[in-house]
Amino acid sequence: MTSATTAHSVVEPSITTRRFAGSLVVLYAVITMIPLVWIMLTAFKSPDDAISYPPKVMFKPSLEGFCNLFTTRSRQTPEFIRSLGPPQGLCDSIARSRNMVVAGPSNYVPRFINSLIIAFGSTVLAVALGTLSAYGFSRFRVPLKDDLLFFILSTRMMPPIAVAIPIYLMYRTIGLSDTRLGMILLYTSVNVSLAVWLLKGFIDEIPREYEEAAMIDGYTRFQAFVKVVLPQATTGIAATAIFCLIFAWNEYAFAVLLTSGNAQTAPPFIPIIIGEGGQDWPAVAAGTTLFLVPIVVFTVLLRKHLLRGITFGAVRK
Amino acid sequence: MSIDATPSIARRGLADRVLRRGPLEAAATTIIAAGVVMLMQPLSLTLYSWSFATTLFGTVMFTIVSKVRE
Amino acid sequence: MNELSASSRITYRAVMVRPGMARRIRGLSDKTLAWLFITPTIVLLLAINIFPLLWTIYLSFTNYRANRANVPTIWLGADWYQSILTDPDIWAAMQVTAHFVIWTVVIETVLGFGLAYLIDKKFRGHGMWTTIILLPMMLSPAVVGNFWTFLYQPQIGLFNYVVAFFTGRAASSFQMLGDVTLSPWAIVIVDAWMWTPYVMLICLAGLRSIPDYIYEAAEVDRASKWRQFWSITLPMALPFIMLAVLFRGIENFKMFDMVNLLTGGGPGSTTEVASITLKRAAFESWRTGYSSAFAIILFVTVFGLANIYVKALNKVKSR
Repeated sequence: MTSATTAHSVVEPSITTRRFAGSLVVLYAVITMIPLVWIMLTAFKSPDDAISYPPKVMFKPSLEGFCNLFTTRSRQTPEFIRSLGPPQGLCDSIARSRNMVVAGPSNYVPRFINSLIIAFGSTVLAVALGTLSAYGFSRFRVPLKDDLLFFILSTRMMPPIAVAIPIYLMYRTIGLSDTRLGMILLYTSVNVSLAVWLLKGFIDEIPREYEEAAMIDGYTRFQAFVKVVLPQATTGIAATAIFCLIFAWNEYAFAVLLTSGNAQTAPPFIPIIIGEGGQDWPAVAAGTTLFLVPIVVFTVLLRKHLLRGITFGAVRK
Repeated sequence: MSIDATPSIARRGLADRVLRRGPLEAAATTIIAAGVVMLMQPLSLTLYSWSFATTLFGTVMFTIVSKVRE
Repeated sequence: MNELSASSRITYRAVMVRPGMARRIRGLSDKTLAWLFITPTIVLLLAINIFPLLWTIYLSFTNYRANRANVPTIWLGADWYQSILTDPDIWAAMQVTAHFVIWTVVIETVLGFGLAYLIDKKFRGHGMWTTIILLPMMLSPAVVGNFWTFLYQPQIGLFNYVVAFFTGRAASSFQMLGDVTLSPWAIVIVDAWMWTPYVMLICLAGLRSIPDYIYEAAEVDRASKWRQFWSITLPMALPFIMLAVLFRGIENFKMFDMVNLLTGGGPGSTTEVASITLKRAAFESWRTGYSSAFAIILFVTVFGLANIYVKALNKVKSR
C-alpha cells in the first residue's frame, strides 16, 4: 500500500512544476485573448478612438459603432439638420453631431435573422436525420456499413468551393439560388455527416439491454427507440445540435458564393460594412461582437463534449 | 513476434504474405502521400504533372484494398 | 399498462421456450426499420453531394461556361486536366498552399502539443484556462479573419503596434498584408492563432490516455524524465498527434474563408492558395469546365487524405 502511494506521487507533478506550467498556459491564454478583447473594445470606441495611434486602451465608451451597425446615414448640410426637429433617439443625435441624419435601418438585422433561420433550420433537420441514421448504424446490421459511414464522412471533407460550383448550377436550374431553403438544405447535408458520426458514438454507449428489456415488455422496436433510446441520448443530441448550430452559424464560403441579397447570412455581410472612406471599424467590431457572443456561450456549455465533436466522436474522453 | 510464427509465414508463400490487407493498405497510403507531396513540391514540373494520376491511383487502390480480407 | 404487462407475460413465455424465435419475428421489421432510418440521410447526401459531384466530373470534360449557358457544350476530353497539370501558375498556387499548410501544421503541432503537455500537469484552474484557450477555434474564421485585417493595419493596427513596441521599428514601416514576403506569414499567424487549440485538445486526449502505471514502472526502472518523455509520452501520444496533423492538413489544404478575407490572394498572387485560385476561375472568370477539372483534382487529393484520416481515426478509436 505504501509503495503504491509513493509510486503514485512520483507520477504526480510537483508544486513547482505545476506553477510553472500554469503560468505558461495562463500567459498563452492571455495573449490569445487579446484579439478577441480588442474586438469588443473597438465596438465601444468612437471612430476617431478606433484609428488613433498609439492604439487606445483607455477611452470614452461610445455606442456610435452599434448605431452605425444598425442604421444607414446620409450626409446633410448643417442648415438642413438645423431645420429638422429635435433628434429622435441616441443614434440620431450621434449622427447629427457628425452632420448626418439617420436614413433608415441597415441590412444587419435581416442578415442576422437569415443566419438564425438557416442555422436553426439546418440544425433541426441534420439532427433529426442524423439521429435516425445513427440509430440505424448503431443497432442494425447494415450491408456495407463501413463504406456508407465513410461515404457520409467524406462528404464533409469536400472542399467547399469544389461543391459550390455544381450546387450553384443546380440551384440556378431548380430555382433555389439565394433562398433560405437552399442554404438550409446545403448546410443540412454538410452537418448530417457530423451528426451521424457523433450520435452513433453516443448511441453506441447506451446499452442494448435497455431496449431489449423494453421490447420484452411488449414495446415494438420503434417504440423502444422513441421511449428508451431517445431520452437516454438527450445529452448527446443536445451536444450534436450545438455543434451543427456553430458550423452553420460560422459558415462563410457557401454563403458568400451562393447568396447575394435575399438569403445572405451575417458572415459575408459583416466584412462589407463600409463607412465613409473605408471600413467603419467600430461598426464592424460591433457586428462581430454581437455575432460572436452566442458562440462563446455555446462553447462554454459544450466544453465537456468539444473533443468528441472535433474528432467525429472517435475520441470520447 | 513469437518464435514459431516465422516458419508458418515462410510456408504460406509470397502471394499470401504480400497480398494481405495491412501491407497493401500501407502501400496505398504511401502512394497517396507521395501524390500529395508531388502536387505541392517546388522542384519539378514533371512530378507535379503526374501528381494527380498518382493520388487517384492510390485512392482507388485504397478503396479496393480495404475490401480485401484481413 | 394492463395490456402491456399481459403481452409481456406472453413474451416472457415465448422467450423462455424459444429465445431465438421471438427475436427473429421482431427482427423482420428491424431490417425495414434500418433502411427507413438510414435512407433519408443517404438520399439527401446523394442529392446535395453526390449528384453535384458527378455533374462536376462531367463538366470537367467540357467547355461549359456558367455565364454563357446557351453556347453549345463541346466534349473536350481530358484537355483541362492536361492544361492545369502543366500550368506553372497553378503549380505556383500549389506551392503557396504548401507553404501555408506546412508552416501552420508545424507551428500548431509544436505549440498545441506543448500546451497540452503543460495543461496535463493539472495546475489549479486548468479547466477554466483550457476553455478560454479553446475559444478562437469555435469562432467564425471569416468574421474573425476579417477583424485581423484591422489588427494588421500598418499605422493603427494593434499587431503592428505590439511588434513595433518590442522591436523598436516604426509601426508603419511594415505591412503584414501588403508586403510580398510578409503576407504569407500573416495568414499563417492567424491560422495558428485560431487552430492551435484544436491540436492542443486532441494532444491532451492523447496524453490523458496514457495510463499512470507505465510511468510508475519507468520510475521504478529509474528512467529519467527526459527518457520517459521520448520513450513513453511521445510514442503513446503519436496516434493522436497524427490525427490532429492530418485533419489540420486537410482543412488547410482547402482553406478558403480566412485567407479570402485577410488577403484575397494578394498582394499579386503571393497568398493565392488553391481554393482562392479555384474561386477566381469558377466565380470570377466563369470558366466552369476548367474550374470543375481543378475542383476534381483538389477533391481527389482531399478524398485520398480523408481515407488516411479515417484510418488514423479508427486507430485512435481502438485505444
